[in-house]
Amino acid sequence: MNNIYTGGLVRLSAMDAEESSKAFARWDRDSEFRRLLVSGAADLISQKALQKMVEKDLEEQSNKHHSFSVRKLDDDRLLGIVDLFVHNLTGRDAFIGLGIGEREFWGKGYGTDMLGLILQYAFNEINLKRVSLGVFEYNPRAIRTYEKAGFRHEGRERKSLNKEGKRWDMLFMGILREEWMEQNGIGITN
Amino acid sequence: MRNLFRGELVRITAEEPEARAKAEVFWQMDTEFHRLADSEPAKVKSERKFKKRFEKEAEDGFNSRRYLFAVRTLADDKHIGFFVLIANHVHGEAWVGIGIGEREFWGKGYGTDMMQLCLQYAFTELNMHRVSLGVHDYNPRALRAYEKAGFQMEGYTRMDILREDKRTGGFWMGILRDEWLAIRSGEANE
Repeated sequence: MNNIYTGGLVRLSAMDAEESSKAFARWDRDSEFRRLLVSGAADLISQKALQKMVEKDLEEQSNKHHSFSVRKLDDDRLLGIVDLFVHNLTGRDAFIGLGIGEREFWGKGYGTDMLGLILQYAFNEINLKRVSLGVFEYNPRAIRTYEKAGFRHEGRERKSLNKEGKRWDMLFMGILREEWMEQNGIGITN
Repeated sequence: MRNLFRGELVRITAEEPEARAKAEVFWQMDTEFHRLADSEPAKVKSERKFKKRFEKEAEDGFNSRRYLFAVRTLADDKHIGFFVLIANHVHGEAWVGIGIGEREFWGKGYGTDMMQLCLQYAFTELNMHRVSLGVHDYNPRALRAYEKAGFQMEGYTRMDILREDKRTGGFWMGILRDEWLAIRSGEANE
């Protein structure tokens, strides 16, 4: 069996509150990164406060919430995060969120690799029926990555975002278990 | 749609910790009930201790693993028992615990009605793939009720329980989603 935490370029690792909060504090200063990740106003939160938030988050993590630190395989450097939240346990549906804080690794296949790992985790480890995500219209790089991974466009909230005096759509995408299984050549069991 | 919380003879409710403690403190004195329901040694707990436990459980509310209901008769709203589903959403399996503490309601179809509500909740609300249970081999009444509900015999643990100097075993039973759906659609066609 494959190691489900290891991809071609990155691996998923346990989140450490201190390490992650230090990274977030640094990444959040990159306002472009923040805008690609969250729809609200970019805010700056101190490392201490972030650490508390992460600690609390990790403590409360249940069978609904799975979050990982993403590290490069070659030098183990922390480059981003992946988050999976099972918002509908009985319908087996989760929302995912991904971010690469280190911008030198944008556009080089790291996102695709991360996405592959979290989908594998979602479908093969926790047996979800579908995976959902939201992405902003002004993030074409992410949209392409999701399309490439097999996500389909399912809906859009028109002009729900407002950045720099321009209004943008919020896009919703999803991938079904059987679609992912077929793409990956895995027999469909149920 | 059927009412999930109402059967032919009973309805299922959320119970206040106080009411549950009052009932349990009384039920625990019936050691036959205890031995049929549990394999732990009989133990006597105060009403206050029961109440504390139930209050603590109530704080967690309906958590995503444990779905507990109190059972009341439709005729006179008497609190006669309980059932609980311990759900594993990843694999779609739930374990049942079920009991009637008021012994004058044994052997009169109340258990069957409760199990019907329990399976309905597990399969139509929690979307489980299977429901499992264990039963002592010295509890033929329960065994018959489970068989009637559609559970199949899946295994037998030999001599795991020592009761009154007699070694006894236990049966493992299970029912699959498709089996239950077939039984139910058969009933609907009658």
